[in-house]
Amino acid sequence: MSGTETGPVLQVTGLRKTYGSAVAIDGVDFTLERGGSLGIVGESGSGKTTTARILVGLERATAGQVLLDGEDVTTPSRRDRRRRARSIQMIFQDPYLSFDPRLTVEESIAEPLRLHGHGDRARIRATVATLCDQVGLSTRNAAALPRDLSGGQRQRAAIARALGIEPRVLVLDEAVAALDVSIQAQVLTLLDRIRRDTGVSYVFVSHDLAVVRYATDTVLVMRHGAVVEEGGTEQVLSAPRHPYTQLLLASVPAPGWDPAAVAAANRALAPADRG
Amino acid sequence: MTTTVDPRPVLEVEGLSLSVPGHDGPVPLLADVGLVVRPGETVGLVGESGSGKSLTIRTALGLTPRRARTAGRVTVDGLDVLSAGRGELRELRRHTAAMVFQDPRASVNGSRTIGAHLVEGLRAGGVDRRQARARAVELLERVGIREPARAMRRHPGEFSGGMLQRVVIAGALSTNPRLLLADEPTTALDVTTQAEVVSLLTSMQAEAGMGMVFVTHDLTLAAAVCDRVVVMYAGRVVEVAAGDELFRSPAHPYTAALLDAHPGLHGPRAALRAVPGRPLALAETPSGCSFRDRCTEADDACAEEVPALRRHGGSDAACLRPGREAWA
Repeated sequence: MSGTETGPVLQVTGLRKTYGSAVAIDGVDFTLERGGSLGIVGESGSGKTTTARILVGLERATAGQVLLDGEDVTTPSRRDRRRRARSIQMIFQDPYLSFDPRLTVEESIAEPLRLHGHGDRARIRATVATLCDQVGLSTRNAAALPRDLSGGQRQRAAIARALGIEPRVLVLDEAVAALDVSIQAQVLTLLDRIRRDTGVSYVFVSHDLAVVRYATDTVLVMRHGAVVEEGGTEQVLSAPRHPYTQLLLASVPAPGWDPAAVAAANRALAPADRG
Repeated sequence: MTTTVDPRPVLEVEGLSLSVPGHDGPVPLLADVGLVVRPGETVGLVGESGSGKSLTIRTALGLTPRRARTAGRVTVDGLDVLSAGRGELRELRRHTAAMVFQDPRASVNGSRTIGAHLVEGLRAGGVDRRQARARAVELLERVGIREPARAMRRHPGEFSGGMLQRVVIAGALSTNPRLLLADEPTTALDVTTQAEVVSLLTSMQAEAGMGMVFVTHDLTLAAAVCDRVVVMYAGRVVEVAAGDELFRSPAHPYTAALLDAHPGLHGPRAALRAVPGRPLALAETPSGCSFRDRCTEADDACAEEVPALRRHGGSDAACLRPGREAWA
């Protein structure tokens, strides 16, 4: 990607978002290294998705700053938005909702290339073919409509479309959560390979600690709109310091798992949340 | 959990096959499915999309797809479900068996109060109005809803997903069923809430001595919660084993592949072993073993006929070469 740049690709400071009197996120700071992968872990209401949506410009921050390659993109103008789209792309949980059902998969993958002026028809066709190849979609898959693809194939298509304009950052919001386990592993290994091959950086939003362990280098744990713990993923998951991170880890089923003990720990941590 | 005597199963599925009409003849969805659940026992039913796990337990309530053709036997507390009449099925669903679904918001009418929902279920079971109210409050208290009498007047929208799933469980248990069918009951909930709902389900099940079928896509969850786990692939049962046994030494390559495909939280960070291809529906499967196209151990013999379940270690597995020690 833009190989001349140095320093972190994304720097976020003091991010805050309120809806009326409700505070969605407050005081979120983080840095994403070039070619790195940052996990944002949390449950519903943690603010992880709000944070992701602010990064890609789907929401406007109430306060704070997002620097992309050192450039302030917090409150973009219309023209800046397209430039930002070129730098940051997002993948959603259900890729079916983000495809035009009337366009074939290859037409959908070609669309951002046309929009961002990636050459003439022939060149775009060639790029689409390369992209499909990169994510493991067959020629038949590429010529099909989204509804004729399986969930895993649609997610591959979404990844191909996002990668076409060579973004520097890919924000993945629960991108493998809806996939069957055997397919989830395929998409995770694909994402891993793409990051190594292209140097793209990931912001990986997920509720699944095991997925985050596999897919990220650093991690933020969010709860009620605030970051409660952060650090190297292996470090945080093997020696969690915050009681909430400990509870999240204990909540993951494993042989000998005691759900009653986890439930008791949950009640001890959050007596005020119940009802 | 598992009782020492061997009481009559509360659910017995034997050789269940099911097909629905398609453009070019019948489309098979289940083939030769077997399942036994005794009182006080929790049996996990695990599989990916198209495995037939949900269809199997729906059949236990007589909820088969329209114009479906079935073969085999499904018995719930002595009732032959496949040949039961409307009246018998209604009694079955009212008294004998109850079901909890993935999304609690789809199970409760959002415009009515929690109290109305619970009282209606109890009244349908033949309880009079005053007793039904008292019993509903009791049930809410039992599933851990604070201030149950006030909660009766609240609407589903005022509850979190986890709390509403508790209300749904209270409703399912209100008629003291012999069999509880839980279809992905925690999939839509937060991770920390999942433990609460699972521990509630298992404690109520043990207390009432019910049989429970726990349907999930999460093999680890099933192994941790269930006495026995039944793994399904493409409309067939491929392995049956005790939960911890399955986890420690899977006998069927598909079970092993599911475990290897899931990124672990413990131990060294290992490379993921993705399973090639995608989960199939029964109608798309090749001859012989349904999993052979995706299996690294398959050879010509696997194409000949569908392997029967055979004993291997602590498992019953439908594989010609079961157990990791037999694999390259």
